[in-house]
Amino acid sequence: MTTAANATTIAHLADAPPEDRLASAVGLVARQFPDRTAIVAEAGGDARRVIDYATLAAAIAKLEAEVAAARPVGIVARARRVESLAVIAAACGREHVPVAFLAEDARDLVGELRDWVVLDDSLALPAAAAPRREFETVPPQVVVATSGTSGPPKLVEHSWDSLLAAARLAEQWHGRGWLLVYDATRWAGLQVWLQALLTAGRVVVPVSRDPDIVARACVDEDVSILPATPTLLRRLITSGDRGLVTRMPLDRITLGGEAADAPLLARAAELFPAAKIGHVYATTELGEVFRVGDGRAGFPAEWIGRQLPGGARLSLRRDGELLVQLSRDTAEVATGDLVERRGNRFEFTGRRSDVIVVGGAKVFPRRVEEILRGVPGIADARVYGLPSAITGELVAAEIVAHDPLPAGTTPDQVRSAALAVCRERLEAHAVPRVVDVVKMLTTTAAGKIPRR
Amino acid sequence: MTPLDEITAAIRTVLADTGRSAPDIAPGRLLTADLGLDSLDLAQTIVLLERSLGIDPFRQAAAVENRPTIRTVADLVAIYTSALSSPPSQTP
Repeated sequence: MTTAANATTIAHLADAPPEDRLASAVGLVARQFPDRTAIVAEAGGDARRVIDYATLAAAIAKLEAEVAAARPVGIVARARRVESLAVIAAACGREHVPVAFLAEDARDLVGELRDWVVLDDSLALPAAAAPRREFETVPPQVVVATSGTSGPPKLVEHSWDSLLAAARLAEQWHGRGWLLVYDATRWAGLQVWLQALLTAGRVVVPVSRDPDIVARACVDEDVSILPATPTLLRRLITSGDRGLVTRMPLDRITLGGEAADAPLLARAAELFPAAKIGHVYATTELGEVFRVGDGRAGFPAEWIGRQLPGGARLSLRRDGELLVQLSRDTAEVATGDLVERRGNRFEFTGRRSDVIVVGGAKVFPRRVEEILRGVPGIADARVYGLPSAITGELVAAEIVAHDPLPAGTTPDQVRSAALAVCRERLEAHAVPRVVDVVKMLTTTAAGKIPRR
Repeated sequence: MTPLDEITAAIRTVLADTGRSAPDIAPGRLLTADLGLDSLDLAQTIVLLERSLGIDPFRQAAAVENRPTIRTVADLVAIYTSALSSPPSQTP
């Protein structure tokens, strides 16, 4: 294990202005350990690239100088490579130039950022159409697009302070390998690579989300921290090569983006006994609200109505929707997430917008998925709504059968068994009417399950 | 396969998926009284037919407004036969 870059200096990064921290951290590591790997891109593929801290720091310094000379109103990071995104973010922060990260599905929103210049992987800064006059007075900011899981993507403005609020600078986090399976331009992805680069760590980006590629990347690149959606972790556990998956040197799994259910948490704990498994409740608009580290689904019931360590207050609407008030002087925000009390916990039942309405009756797709995942022969399931002129919507499902199936079992038999179990345990309108056996579930760019 | 064949196959799947045995599915059969199909069953039949025939005549606004009564298998066959022979783009 290499010595972490001067631990105290990294810990003191928190004293630096937040917009300076990324450039400072990269510069710091580059001076002490120029050859240290910052990013492994396309891990597990033929075009695997390794970017060290010295290279990253030099690119930041170069762009910083250009940005200082050009004084653009703002910069839209339209790069695909993580190293380019990091360079743009660091240079913009240092130079107090607002920066926007637009994911693929949010590119049309660039029209809202008038006079901003667009920077791609070439990192060649075009001449600014309208240079800013008062260069130092505009507060630095970061613009991120929401994932569009519920409704069309929209732009959300953050301060550098809120962007980095969840980053942990303590020594236990230094020099670690972080897996980046999220889109690097979205809130969740930004959190991962920022955290890694702020703490002299390595960002490992697998060439695809194929479970074997992901597992291989973790083993080969010594990844110890895996941030993922429950959907991606479930895919890794159910479809990844078992020998490879159990060799992943994970000591921390942080789930987010969707609710983590109890069976998945239990399965993960069994497969990765050395890993601490927790889940984060965060949204692009609110940032990180809370973390649950006890390995159980949902959160403790006593958290409702009480101020949490991060300062947020949770409350519930009559229908079970979770409300969040980030601080005393901010408004309460409806999250769209529905929770239900089970014993001394509140567990997530799904997003309000996920509810499928069949002939006026509501169906919670997560509940149907949990039943399907319990059917022998089924590795994973996705439940979604199909539009219907007759009933408004119809419940549909994709199921992934175990590979290989027990001798003598056909995918069709698994499908029939699934339907039989659903008929027994669900009301008629909630039983999936269209069931497809697939190799891999459909997921969104953010690694979540689409519900329509 | 003709629309009648496709419709027969779709109804058989619906009945099998819901754990019912398939009676004789002839054009003159009443969907509700003879075959026991409810609105969910019909909705599933239409989704299955959209997959096999590539059209959903019930999704077009005009079709919903002037939806003819669907009482028998033959009524369904007529709707699909007519939808298949007139491209939807020609609807005024």
